[in-house]
Amino acid sequence: MESLNFIQIILLTLYAFIAINDAIHMDFGLNRPLIAGCFAGFVMGDLAFGLSVGATLQLMVLGVSSFGGSSLPDFMSAALIGTALGTISGKGVEFGIGLAVPVGMLLVQLDVFARFANTFFQHRADRYMESVNIKGIERMNVLGVFCWGLSRAIPVFLCLVLGSELVQNFVAYFPDWLSAGLKVAGGLLPVVGIAILLKYLPTKKYTAYLLIGFVLAAYLSMPMLGVALVGAALALMAYRKSGEKELVKSMEGADEDE
Amino acid sequence: MSKISLQDIKKVRYRWLLLGEAAWNYEKMQGLGYCYSMIPVLKKLYPDEADMKKALQTHLQFFNTHQEFAEIILGIDIAMEEKEGAASLEAVSAIKTGLMGPLAGIGDTLFGVIANTIFFSVGSYMALEGNPIGIFLYLIWGVVRVIMRGYFIRIGYREGTKLIENLGDKMNRVTEAASILGLTVVGALIPSVVSANVPFVFKSGEVEMELQAILNQIMPGLIPVLLVLLVYTLLNRKGMTSFKAIIFVMILGIACSAAGILG
Repeated sequence: MESLNFIQIILLTLYAFIAINDAIHMDFGLNRPLIAGCFAGFVMGDLAFGLSVGATLQLMVLGVSSFGGSSLPDFMSAALIGTALGTISGKGVEFGIGLAVPVGMLLVQLDVFARFANTFFQHRADRYMESVNIKGIERMNVLGVFCWGLSRAIPVFLCLVLGSELVQNFVAYFPDWLSAGLKVAGGLLPVVGIAILLKYLPTKKYTAYLLIGFVLAAYLSMPMLGVALVGAALALMAYRKSGEKELVKSMEGADEDE
Repeated sequence: MSKISLQDIKKVRYRWLLLGEAAWNYEKMQGLGYCYSMIPVLKKLYPDEADMKKALQTHLQFFNTHQEFAEIILGIDIAMEEKEGAASLEAVSAIKTGLMGPLAGIGDTLFGVIANTIFFSVGSYMALEGNPIGIFLYLIWGVVRVIMRGYFIRIGYREGTKLIENLGDKMNRVTEAASILGLTVVGALIPSVVSANVPFVFKSGEVEMELQAILNQIMPGLIPVLLVLLVYTLLNRKGMTSFKAIIFVMILGIACSAAGILG
């Protein structure tokens, strides 16, 4: 079996490093499997192959968005790995996709790891604040770039160097109970983001609106935009009403003055 | 005379644009990134070391909202601190926590879910036919958003100054309305984004009953709701951080999966 040349490995590794940092900032879409697959296809000299792998993975995560800091399967790295190793294997697009999906599921753990690791920089920054060390705080924030970048670049680099056979073996030996458990945990994690939002919103005062939103989605299966529009209508009504109340109050105040 | 120039605002904007979430972490989330972004302005406003420390402390606190909409909050914040200096920091903290929830709910829906679904469904179907053109749609949308964000921070800054001038109840009314919208959206997010499926099947003789179907008859999204309630209660306890809550949920997920309760 052929292997990738040095330049291809470096290009794909660098892409992974940059793509994740793009995703959390400007978001030009480099971290989306579709665009990553297209890039990998270009690097490997088989654009159509990369497009197929990327698009298939993309359709699997359509509409899934990181919410409140929850982790998603890393289908960007998976698209790079699946396209690169799939092309050189000569076994076709299906093989590339079949390799990419479990890899992406496993790599979600490194996203969690990067977010953990950054806690260290936050603690250091909190300490620098005590001595008003501004440079120190700035440095801690910038260092976070490497946590994110390396969490994607290292696995991509390793997979490309090791080749598809070893990658498949590793995926096969990863204990089933753990990967099934991590998948369940991944589905539950948005709960934390939602609970944090609720903590910072006046939830107790406006529980009724929370219920309305829930009923619309859970019982009526209303799409999110529809719910947002209902929410906007309710918000407008409340804004008007509170305005009227103020007007009444200020008029009463004026009466008393006379 | 204003102490903050357009140049300073641009510096904050580019810091947030390029490195705002670089140190995103489970404990304070965007806290460090927010502080980092505000530093050019803080340097201008607080020559006094004690004030500076207080400002740094305020901005290192927990913060998390939608990437794009955060620039509105940054703008308002700059305007408030420029006007009242260190005395405004408590109010700034309140505005930040007051606005981040509603803006996160709205932003994640509009930008995160809806825009992505539209652009990538079109792009993917074109790609499957071997046409890479669909990809450029998203790149263009990316440029549009970067430009839009420039307006966000300036609108925040301009309106922020006005808010200070005729403070009073209007700000409360806006926050109240935004919270209502935010909560409605969050209520819908619970059954939509949390996935918890119960694979358990009752068997008695020939009759098979899926537990998930029974749960759905009681209430769709019952397990997500219970979990949100549980984590919400936990977070309201002293000493509980989002970091610990994440670990708790991960262990819970793995345990429930191993026990065959969820899968």
